[in-house]
Amino acid sequence: MKATRDFEDIIGGALMIAGGTWFALYSLNYNMGTLRRMGPAYFPLSIGVLVVAFGLIILVPALFRAGTLPRPEWRPFLAICIAVLGFALLVDRFGLIPAVLLLTALAAFAERNPSLRLTLVLAASLAAIAVLVFTMGLGIPIPAYRWSL
Amino acid sequence: MDMFANLAMGFGEAFAPQNLLYCFIGVFLGTFVGVLPGIGGLATISMLLPLTFYVPPTAAIIMLAGIYYGAQYGGSTASILMNLPGTPAAAVACLDGYPMAQKGRAGVALAMTTIASFVGASLGIIILTAFSPLLAGVALSFGPADYFAMMLLGLVAAATLAHGSPVKGIAMVLVGLALGMVGTDVQTGQQRFTFDIPQLADGISLVALAMGLFGVAEVIGSINRIKAGRSQHKITMRSLMPTGKDMKDSTLPMLRGTGVGAIFGALPGAGATIASFMSYAVEKKVARDPSRFGKGAIEGITSPESANNAASQTAFIPTLTLGIPGDATMALMLGALIIQGIQPGPRLVTEHPELFWGLIASFWIGNVMLVILNLPLIGLWVKMLSIPYRILYPAILMFICIGVYSVNNSAFDVLLVMIFGVFGYVMALLKFEPAPLLLGFILGPLMEEHLRRAMLLSRGDAMVFLERPISAGFLAVTAALLVWAAVALMRQNRARQRAAALAE
Repeated sequence: MKATRDFEDIIGGALMIAGGTWFALYSLNYNMGTLRRMGPAYFPLSIGVLVVAFGLIILVPALFRAGTLPRPEWRPFLAICIAVLGFALLVDRFGLIPAVLLLTALAAFAERNPSLRLTLVLAASLAAIAVLVFTMGLGIPIPAYRWSL
Repeated sequence: MDMFANLAMGFGEAFAPQNLLYCFIGVFLGTFVGVLPGIGGLATISMLLPLTFYVPPTAAIIMLAGIYYGAQYGGSTASILMNLPGTPAAAVACLDGYPMAQKGRAGVALAMTTIASFVGASLGIIILTAFSPLLAGVALSFGPADYFAMMLLGLVAAATLAHGSPVKGIAMVLVGLALGMVGTDVQTGQQRFTFDIPQLADGISLVALAMGLFGVAEVIGSINRIKAGRSQHKITMRSLMPTGKDMKDSTLPMLRGTGVGAIFGALPGAGATIASFMSYAVEKKVARDPSRFGKGAIEGITSPESANNAASQTAFIPTLTLGIPGDATMALMLGALIIQGIQPGPRLVTEHPELFWGLIASFWIGNVMLVILNLPLIGLWVKMLSIPYRILYPAILMFICIGVYSVNNSAFDVLLVMIFGVFGYVMALLKFEPAPLLLGFILGPLMEEHLRRAMLLSRGDAMVFLERPISAGFLAVTAALLVWAAVALMRQNRARQRAAALAE
């Protein structure tokens, strides 16, 4: 999509300026030291300042030129993120099988018209593969299922 | 000769049954993910990083390296058959490989890319074997200031030579450096940017960062983009046979491609993708009839294939001898070494000869395996192209989640993967490259250490960087690169303004 400003670089530059400022200010919590004996704040502070500087170099020229508007694909983006989040929340409490089942089910929504049958078959086979390969094959200590809240 | 004794020792190491097995797993997986679009060598290596905790260092590195160069072999298959590159470096193979397939010469194209890959890789390994020990010898005399300057050059080169805008590349390196600061400061024990989260005390997990940036973000971006399809081309053993003319027409281009690839591979920041594009440009320039390109010229696939395979071998030169990774994959390889307790750098060759020479010997073995995998078994890979992505991506996600969880048995790391997945996707939307970020992340802590040591040794005199000839040399090249990038940027801006003015 065409836009009157180069929003890609405007957003990118702004994010860098914000992040760099925060990073530089936060590093002041630590000891600066001297040039000879640099403290833990020295290097991060310099990097933070440089990040802000490059954020400006990216942002300012972008204000004066046309560009494109970035268009996120919300559906796959949200579905995949929630699926990974679901795995993270389930795996410690309920074990591998429930986590993989949920991951597969949620990830299916990244497609525009997910197929129920395919997802069920896929979830079951992936859970089986997970247990066979990781728990039994490689001996990675994740229990297949458990119940601890 | 010392080198031959070392190589013999290396082959002894590489032929150990366990190493042979891991080499095969590596090249097999490499070909697999190289063939399939939507998952690359980088994501695969980060997925398998956790596994390498369970095997000895040599076997682990042999396997990870096998994935890297194996993916270069497989990458061109989808380019030729479906006009869809399996790896970034294979995008060039679409230009002439797909037209060849449409003319019914898909088999020849597949066979010739494998032959070209083998030629490029073999010559690349010879260059690697000959130059690495020399370079390591030189690097032994480097002081902390020289190291700092060299890393700076590596990062700037990676940022300015990579795709996209050099300013954005440097910006990403800086963000990577910042992320690398998280964790415990080695010299003072101070916790930095950890927010009292115990899982962050050792820093951000490299595996989580790489999988988020390259795995999750890539899956999100690929779901709507990749449509699997059955290739209409039947690949029989007979159709693979190139004619004598094909071979003759390809000999010189393969050698030229290897030369271009070997140089670009060894340079920090350039790597296989740039090498293959450069060698295509070179072929077009030297060709008597440049109009044949894009219509199925055999040089258009053999030269870039040799180039990207040569590059993927010579990329190990700076990684192994200097501890400076040339691209993101090499950065992961370095990370794997560090995790295994091996400090990469000039001492690696002398302190861990079994690893160094074993790895080089495994390259030969792996490349022979790849020829076998890619010629007689090509039909298998072609069939794999018809696996729909809707089956693949949940499996990829599962391997990512379990892999990252298993490193520290920590659900927190899986959460980090999600966060970096979001981060990586936003970056991709705004056209920022993730590879320089990973380089900065890996080199950040090392740079800080060398900088502090250099300043301590010079008693706080920053001139030390200009007084030492080696460090001054690196800084001069860095400055030249920055000036070049700035000039290129200004020219580009002016051209864009002119184009905009014309459009109005």
